[in-house]
Amino acid sequence: MIKFTLNGRIVETDAPPTARLLDLIRDEFELIGTKEGCGEGECGACSVFVNNLLQNSCLIPIGAIAGADIQTIEGIMETEQFKLLDESYSNAGGVQCGYCIPGMIMASAALLSNNPHPTEAEIRDGISGNLCRCTGYNMIVDAINLAAKKGDGLWQKK
Amino acid sequence: MSLKDISTSVPKKDHKGKVSGQLPYISDVKVENMVYGVLVRSPIAYGKIKSIQLPTLPEGYEAVGAEHISGPNYVKIIQEDQPIFANEWVNYIGEPILMLVGKDLNTLYRLLDEVKIDFEEHQAVYTLDEAIQQKSATGITMASYEFGESLENISAIEQGAHQIIEEEYDTGYQEHVYLEPQGMLAIYREDEIVVQGSMQCLYYIKNALISALDCGADEVRVVQSPTGGGFGGKEEFPSMMACHVAVAAKAVKKSVMLVFDRSEDMVVTTKRHPAKLNYRTALDKEGNILSMCVDIYLDGGANAGLSQVVLQRALINSAGVYKIPHFHAKGYVLKTNTVPNGAFRGFGAPQSFAGIESHIGHLSKLGNFDPLEYKRKYLVKQGDPTITKGIFRDPILVEDMIEDLLTASQYKTKKAEFQHNNPQNLRYKKGIGTSLFLHGCGFTGSGERDHIKATVKLLKSKDDLVSLKISNSDMGQGIYTTLSKIVAKELDLPYERVLYPDPDTKEVPDSGPTVASRTTMIVGKLLERAAKKLKTQWQSGVEQEAVEHYVHREMIPWDEKTFTGDAYPAYSWGVNIVEVEVDTLTGNVKLEKVYGNYEVGKVIDERIMKGQIDGGLAQGLAYGYLEKMTSKEGRIQQKSISDYGPPTAMDVVSIDSKVFDNPYADGPYGAKGAGELTLIGGAPAVQAAIEDALQTSFQQIPITPEVIIESLWRKEGEGD
Amino acid sequence: MAEKITAYRFDCLEQTLSQLNKEDCAIIAGGTDVMVLHKSRRGVPPKILKSVVFIDHLSELKQVNQNQKDLHIGACCTYSELLEHALIPVALKNAIKSIAAPAIRNRGTLGGNICNASPAGDTLPLLYVYNAKLRLRSVNGERIVAINDFIQGPRRVQRDPNEIVTEIILPSVLEEDAHVVFEKVGNRNADAIAKVGFAGYIRINDARIEDVRFAFGAVGPTMVRSLNIEKKLVGKTLPLADSDIAEIVADFDKIIRPIDDQRSTAVYRKIVALNLLRYFLSLKQYQTK
Ligand SMILES: Cc1cc2nc3c(=O)[nH]c(=O)nc-3n(C[C@H](O)[C@H](O)[C@H](O)COP(=O)(O)OP(=O)(O)OC[C@H]3O[C@@H](n4cnc5c(N)ncnc54)[C@H](O)[C@@H]3O)c2cc1C
Ligand code: FES
Ligand code: FES
Repeated sequence: MIKFTLNGRIVETDAPPTARLLDLIRDEFELIGTKEGCGEGECGACSVFVNNLLQNSCLIPIGAIAGADIQTIEGIMETEQFKLLDESYSNAGGVQCGYCIPGMIMASAALLSNNPHPTEAEIRDGISGNLCRCTGYNMIVDAINLAAKKGDGLWQKK
Repeated sequence: MSLKDISTSVPKKDHKGKVSGQLPYISDVKVENMVYGVLVRSPIAYGKIKSIQLPTLPEGYEAVGAEHISGPNYVKIIQEDQPIFANEWVNYIGEPILMLVGKDLNTLYRLLDEVKIDFEEHQAVYTLDEAIQQKSATGITMASYEFGESLENISAIEQGAHQIIEEEYDTGYQEHVYLEPQGMLAIYREDEIVVQGSMQCLYYIKNALISALDCGADEVRVVQSPTGGGFGGKEEFPSMMACHVAVAAKAVKKSVMLVFDRSEDMVVTTKRHPAKLNYRTALDKEGNILSMCVDIYLDGGANAGLSQVVLQRALINSAGVYKIPHFHAKGYVLKTNTVPNGAFRGFGAPQSFAGIESHIGHLSKLGNFDPLEYKRKYLVKQGDPTITKGIFRDPILVEDMIEDLLTASQYKTKKAEFQHNNPQNLRYKKGIGTSLFLHGCGFTGSGERDHIKATVKLLKSKDDLVSLKISNSDMGQGIYTTLSKIVAKELDLPYERVLYPDPDTKEVPDSGPTVASRTTMIVGKLLERAAKKLKTQWQSGVEQEAVEHYVHREMIPWDEKTFTGDAYPAYSWGVNIVEVEVDTLTGNVKLEKVYGNYEVGKVIDERIMKGQIDGGLAQGLAYGYLEKMTSKEGRIQQKSISDYGPPTAMDVVSIDSKVFDNPYADGPYGAKGAGELTLIGGAPAVQAAIEDALQTSFQQIPITPEVIIESLWRKEGEGD
Repeated sequence: MAEKITAYRFDCLEQTLSQLNKEDCAIIAGGTDVMVLHKSRRGVPPKILKSVVFIDHLSELKQVNQNQKDLHIGACCTYSELLEHALIPVALKNAIKSIAAPAIRNRGTLGGNICNASPAGDTLPLLYVYNAKLRLRSVNGERIVAINDFIQGPRRVQRDPNEIVTEIILPSVLEEDAHVVFEKVGNRNADAIAKVGFAGYIRINDARIEDVRFAFGAVGPTMVRSLNIEKKLVGKTLPLADSDIAEIVADFDKIIRPIDDQRSTAVYRKIVALNLLRYFLSLKQYQTK
């Protein structure tokens, strides 16, 4: 039995300790915002927060996160930060097919929480593990820039 | 929200569900009584199946194969050469032979390893070069066309020419890497099979299913799920998966889900055709072009698929945006025992534009002309004939677009500056290059009139909400938004009152596939007309509908046999300028600046257009220098995203772009196609820039660091 | 159904070591290599045939400290942790920044990069030129091994099943005023596996070379380094004569034997490796810095 916190709730599972966190989130806890694009850590569609750090849930055996605090896109959906990113992505036109987007939002939030006023190069590095095949990234970079500008104060380091 | 100017951006219809991740893509769906399917695939490139030995299947697990297909065993596309389940010959590594279905994936994967198939192996054709050598052998040439000036005339011209330049140009594979891997679900019901998944063309799938299941039109139904990118990769390929899940669902009387793993998707799905393009050009003393012959060979892979249509577009674009005197072209699709190639944004045009832009660029160097000035000499003008004896009817703004971009990019200053500074930097060299290109909008020739015959419907509910009833997919390109805008504006309705539910063949007429940059121009126009009609009949509080059918624009009739006539009703245009820095120690290329001017008639939504520009260019540029896929003895070598190498956010730079207005009478609000155009100019511009930096010529894309280092190394050898 | 699998996650290193002494386990630190290496297909756990022991939470393995001029880095420090740490040398930080992307850097560990022993491991060229040593511990005690003795070949290390790498020691790095460069050549600017890696290290006193070291990654089964070739340059003055440079390059030309694979070609790897070496030897950048 493995116990951890998922989106603020303590949860337990009987899944094997090597099961991928990604599968657990999607199949057992039926949270579909975390997507699978590669299963090898190369696309970022499965990004989640583990103790507030951005990580790829497809590479995490659940045994490794016993006791950890896991957040998925569903867990941040009600935050002011999410609302701001949502609006910025809309205004900057950062969303096309959408498959990369929940992961991108997680990466954007992770970046801005660490670095509320990133340079363009820092933004690009911050989302460099999140593949987007539709947008060519620039409008996503714009969206993050916008969120940084508008979110003054919101992104202060915790 | 009311729409004043159609180009002004509005929030995308599907934005909320996408940012929150709550919009269910097919792999997010679970239905009652659902089992998974996995495919047993051929491990060999060419041979005959002698026997198949299945392991003992546990309770609830079944094998589905050719014997379960009620209709003919092929995927209905154009030719009947692509088995749903290969049961006699296999023609490529990865070809589906059987499907195992059952509840637990782990068990299925184990069973997959235990299936034993005995083959009689035959000598396979692995490369395009081998196929070219054997092109007269039976079965190798899958399609061919030839047109243009007679070869006798050309040979006479060549006799009198100052010199004849021959060049061979190669283009590689390109993999779509849509971020959502392919996925398809067949929902089993007594009286109908509902196939739902990631797709671009609902009615292609429906027709394939009617054939495979040998059933009536009301016994199958196709529903598009939110689609995580397509780029052509979900044009014809999903038809095969749909047949797999539907046949299996019928066989086991359960719903069957088939979702690919990324590596499986990389290895077995269609890709952009590798091509070889041969140019033979006669020049006079001053370097003017007297005649040109182009031969194009496309590697079709193991099945015909859509390759012949891809070849048509490649040929139609073989002279680029130029009026070349005495032009002749021929082309072939050749069969190899490799994964079948298919539709990919640009559909044959990117290969041709890379080739012709490269060749013309090289010709300009021979005559010591600036490449751009040389290209401009040959630029087509309104009223000029096309190479297929059609006409460029509408105004062409390319000259203005070039002038504007020269100023924006400071092209001349930059070029001089780089030439001056490069010798001083031993390691890094900068270069600047251009590309000029067009894209024919819509289906080739009379395809819209003869094959597609699009119909659209608008349905107004009692509470005066209007729904779009069309079979076109939003795969990210934004048609939910743009088409809704067109209808809203025409009806003077707030944009929010126009709805575009996920297309379902039970509800929507066939408005054609979502391909060929046709959706906005053709389907959008039909919707505009339907909206006009609905407006005149509008009665508040009453359910109403309006239907419109395709009307063909008067053109010079297209004749596929002689390859003459108007190939397209309209063309969109583009100019790119790209600056790069090349590391001469490693061959790595860094993009520094990217500029693009486009003309797409009229922009329906500025933000969406910019998204098409940025995304298309990122793919197009990468096609020229970054993305590399190879096949070795029939096996794709790059099975992971990193090994293949599509651009990350750190590989692209912001793009300076502008769109010129040039409304087109037969497009909604003047709009033409935009989705494919934006990809086409990337590769040739990046090639030209690399050549400028290194003062050398390349005859291939992608120009990878390996290619650059080899070229520099050879050059050094010559210098010693 | 998935086979039953046993996994251990102990609170301290001692317990972990004692379990390893009883049972041969697959050690998982960040798991970024293990999970990919044993990946099955979509939707199922990886195929790992042994019992698993998780170690990346063990605080004993996450310390960074200074011992005189030596730097001690806990094996389970993640890349992100190292990037934030003031003691980590700049060149190593540069190498770390070139690894994968933030999410992987939040999980992947330095110890994992070493124990994975991939020819393309990005920290390895630098660790070789730093003469890194590894501390291994088991219930029987501990030993210290030089990195080049520890790494034997692709995914082959000299580790007994009951041992854990506890720390990486960079001797004297905090004292020496050496100039160190790292260059990674990948197919793109992030999330790329090296096609060639190069680390160069040079210490000079008045234009005289006191110490010089080179290591090449991804051009052979392990890092290529040669003390004999390096020795030839000690005592020479800068700038080096063209003939000296040519000799060193020719020496490496003989011992660098790369392969073709899905990422690059042998020819490319060799030319680029030698280019980077030649460039390092020819430039005077390190004298002015
Ligand atoms: C998408 C992606 C991109 C990557 N990019 C790069 C890159 O650019 N450069 C690069 O170098 N690597 C890269 N890697 C590889 C990987 O991230 C690194 O090698 C990382 O350092 C491995 O650390 P880990 O803690 O995750 O190792 P694990 O996967 O946990 O372990 C790796 C191996 O080391 C053993 N091991 C780990 N720690 C110890 C210990 N303390 N004692 C004994 N044995 C131990 C394990 O048993 C296993 O055999 C990438 C991986 C992915 C998935
Ligand atoms: S699915 Fe985890 S990174 Fe791609
Ligand atoms: S929006 Fe489609 S992959 Fe990013």
